[in-house]
Amino acid sequence: MTYKITRDGDISTIYLTGEIDMDVTEKAKEFIMPVIEEKKEVHLNLKDVEYMDSSGISVLIESHQKAMELGTRVVLKEISKSVLKVIMMAKLEQILILE
Amino acid sequence: MDISETKDFPVSSKSLREIREFSREVISKSSILEESKDELILAIAEAAQNIVKHAYKDNQDTTDKMQIKISFNSNKLEIGFFDKGKPVIEENIKHRSLDDIKPGGLGTYFIQQIMDEVVFKESTGWHNNLVLTKKY
Repeated sequence: MTYKITRDGDISTIYLTGEIDMDVTEKAKEFIMPVIEEKKEVHLNLKDVEYMDSSGISVLIESHQKAMELGTRVVLKEISKSVLKVIMMAKLEQILILE
Repeated sequence: MDISETKDFPVSSKSLREIREFSREVISKSSILEESKDELILAIAEAAQNIVKHAYKDNQDTTDKMQIKISFNSNKLEIGFFDKGKPVIEENIKHRSLDDIKPGGLGTYFIQQIMDEVVFKESTGWHNNLVLTKKY
């Protein structure tokens, strides 16, 4: 997994690439959570995420909940087909913010 | 086409990528399995992850290996997982309620959604033998 963060006004966008599994979730949280703590809207761009398992889904839930606590939001953008399938299997499409 | 392939992997989260690669390679040998490849890879990876996360919870620095066997005969897919971690108490395995939104607890749910049967069997020389099956 690799990532890139861009900031444009009140929105920070994190572009994730590759496979997100148990082996990389701690690393993912290390760079996602501080961006959420800036209390700006965070866009997680998942266009180039080829694979995500339950550990990756946990990162999405944790990010969403952290943002809600801080009065901001995490928006999932350009979700790849394979990630969308897993989000829907977990019945999270109505809970997480998908655009 | 009948398939039967077995491979050992170090019990570590670092093995998950290699497990997915092995599984993709085996599954791609059957056009029937290929159609549900993404789901099958997820189920296999979640089961392997459970071994690392739960059976070896208190032994993360282990040098043990886990074994994965994928067989496809007579339109029945059987995936066996063998490990020497803490013996699993089957009654304790449950996924969280989907309404209780919190991180974790989804892996077992995914496996149950994807596969037809999820059972633990006795296997000489191993502490746990999880068998996932699906009919096509």
